[in-house]
Amino acid sequence: MKRKDTVKLISTDEMEFVIDKDAAMVSQTIRNMLTSPGPIDNWVFLGGFAETELGEVTFPEISAVILEKICQYFYWALQYSRGKETEFHIEPELTLELMMAANYLHT
Amino acid sequence: MSSQKKKAFQIEAFKHRVVVDPKYAEKTWKILEHAIHEIYNHNASGLSFEELYRNAYNMVLHKFGEKLYSGLVTTMTSHLKEISNSIEAAQGGLFLDELNRKWAEHNKALQMIRDILMYMDRTFIPNTHKTPVHELGLNLWRDVVIHSHAIQSRLQAILLENVRRERSGEVIDRGLMRSITKMLMDLGPSVYQDNFEKHFLEVSADFYRLESQEFIESCDCGEYLKKAERRLNEEIERVSHYLDTRSEVKITNVVETEMIESHMHRLVQMENSGLINMIVDEKYEDLGRMYCLFRRVSSGLVLIRDVMTSYIRDTGKQLLTDPERLKDPVDFVQQLLDLKDKYDKIITSAFRNDKTFQNALNSSFEYFINLNSRSPEFISLFVDDKLRKGLRGVTEEDVELVLDKVMMLFRYLQEKDVFEKYYKQHLAKRLLSGKSVSDDAERSLIVKLKTECGYQFTSKLEGMFTDMKTSQDTMQGFHASHGSDIGDGPMLSVQVLTTGSWPTQLITTCNLPAEILGICEKFRNYYLGTHTGRRLSWQTNMGTADLKATFGKGQKHELNVSTYQMCVLMLFNDADRLSYKEIEQVTEIPTSDLKRCLQSLACVKGKNVLRKEPMSKDIADTDTFLFNDKYTSKFFKVKIGTVAAQRESEPENQETRQRVEEDRKPQIEAAIVRIMKARRVLDHNNIVAEVTKQLQSRFLPNPVVIKKRIESLIEREFLERDKGDRKLYRYLA
Repeated sequence: MKRKDTVKLISTDEMEFVIDKDAAMVSQTIRNMLTSPGPIDNWVFLGGFAETELGEVTFPEISAVILEKICQYFYWALQYSRGKETEFHIEPELTLELMMAANYLHT
Repeated sequence: MSSQKKKAFQIEAFKHRVVVDPKYAEKTWKILEHAIHEIYNHNASGLSFEELYRNAYNMVLHKFGEKLYSGLVTTMTSHLKEISNSIEAAQGGLFLDELNRKWAEHNKALQMIRDILMYMDRTFIPNTHKTPVHELGLNLWRDVVIHSHAIQSRLQAILLENVRRERSGEVIDRGLMRSITKMLMDLGPSVYQDNFEKHFLEVSADFYRLESQEFIESCDCGEYLKKAERRLNEEIERVSHYLDTRSEVKITNVVETEMIESHMHRLVQMENSGLINMIVDEKYEDLGRMYCLFRRVSSGLVLIRDVMTSYIRDTGKQLLTDPERLKDPVDFVQQLLDLKDKYDKIITSAFRNDKTFQNALNSSFEYFINLNSRSPEFISLFVDDKLRKGLRGVTEEDVELVLDKVMMLFRYLQEKDVFEKYYKQHLAKRLLSGKSVSDDAERSLIVKLKTECGYQFTSKLEGMFTDMKTSQDTMQGFHASHGSDIGDGPMLSVQVLTTGSWPTQLITTCNLPAEILGICEKFRNYYLGTHTGRRLSWQTNMGTADLKATFGKGQKHELNVSTYQMCVLMLFNDADRLSYKEIEQVTEIPTSDLKRCLQSLACVKGKNVLRKEPMSKDIADTDTFLFNDKYTSKFFKVKIGTVAAQRESEPENQETRQRVEEDRKPQIEAAIVRIMKARRVLDHNNIVAEVTKQLQSRFLPNPVVIKKRIESLIEREFLERDKGDRKLYRYLA
């Protein structure tokens, strides 16, 4: 089966965001979710976590508004790393929750 | 900044979670513990990473990090105990397989656990200075599994047994070995060293000690080296296949010490197959192998070099002191060259052109060539032979090759001035008799000598060439102006030689026949007419002449003879029978020369244009000579050589030596004066040292001679002794 190159992120209010895997991997936490325990070798097959197999991740503590902002950030970060320097605008009322999510997602 | 942010979160979180179940921590840990079990049981696909991560995250956030960490340690330890038991239970050959499989599984599980506990790894662990999860997992594996008593010793034994089996030619599972050693390496270099490498090296040392003992008793040197080389390569290969690369140096060291270093002397001196035999039999491959192997141990090459050097010296000494060989100088030098070629080939093909070996070879040659004081003469004779006939019909490159080789021997000579002396004599003979094969070759050698020893060394030799050239011009001029006067008379060809450039000969004029004298006079007048203020004297001992002779049956021959022989033969135009005394009286040729020349005219078969009474090999004062009417030869031109010893006889040699010694005196004096002029004051030993250094390129001055020269200079008031210190000399300007 061809590996999917998109992932589905689901917020606590069950909004689904389908984004590129590359973008999602900006978050170290999501990267681990999708790749652990690393490439499968000939010797051992322990199987990955549910997320790896389904290609979707549920975040019971993140609301749709924040998750949307996070997804925007992922794409912005990809661009930024490719050398396109623009500003990322954050509405003041989202700041605190966004920070908490950032700590959680290790971005 | 970030820590402040975190604090803000925690405060927020606490407010938020105030209502949380007091058993929250216990419950959360249960979830995680369960997850760890599931992971070890290969059931991870049923788990949600996000959930686990969130739980671990929250636990850390709510200050249950300690609980989480210790829980992890306990859980993992218990799992590893199980694993350890199952490995212990594995039977025989399956042990390694099991160990390896479990290790791989543990690694995967560990990775997954680390991933879900990443938040703890990221914040809690650095803050509390605990071991990160991954490392913790490795440490636990090391302590619980590898260091469990049953496994540790068994693992070691199996690994070593596998190596032993491979050494004795069995095939083992290298991939598995590779994985296991890699595991030990992953657990830390010290684990690898303590559990495997240390024992491996010990066992190997024992193994090779025994094996080398066995080999050395049963094999010859070449065979032994082959085996040692193969073992060495095997070990290197083994390291590259399944050991840590850092082990290579250690294990090769073991092999080197056991197989080479401890048997080095025995190998080199092995009867019938040692180093000397290899050299004698020209076994380049074996020599090369010996070089490569011995290079690995500290004093190996020194040993080879010493043995080789002393062997070269011995053979060289034998060659030089063997009176049989010294009879033929050309052959003797050829043997030297062959010897040198042989060792050169050994060094280039077997010893990788090692500079230290080349130096050893050179110093050995220098040592034994100078053992025989006649070496310079012989080398010059060799050149003479080559330039007279040896190089005829040989291509230019080959000529150069031979000359280069000669130069190489020349370099070894300490008494270069003796060589020069002989070379000058031989060159003079070649030039005057027109016997030189190639002018180019002559000049090429002069150029080589010049680059080797400087202008001074060859200026006289070059002067000789210039004389030959100007003489040609002079003769052309002479024939142009006098050609008509001469008519039917004998043709004259004169070489005007500058005194000093040519080897000095005692002027021993003989009485020339009247026919010749006339034209000689004409030439003298012509020459002095164009060059005023010069003196000409005839060197009759060096000339040649072509004579037309008619014998009894009317057959004519052209005889190519020396000037002396010509004088003798001309006498027989007027008489058929002459006694020795008569000939001597008329010609006034010096006794030894006359005897030699008569001998060649009367006693050589096929060239005996004279008859002698009584018939015998030697010329006595009472002999009588007759014109040999019955002489025949199938050649029209007959060359009558002089019966001359090519190499000098003992008294002549002494004489040349003496002349060389005489020539050295002014050179030594000049060197002393040069040095003293620069230094003003110097003590005796230093003068001797410096003079020796300055003159080294030409000869090795004898300290006693130097001392005599200093005394002579003091007498002549160039130097004086210091009044206070008698060992000091002062230069007097």
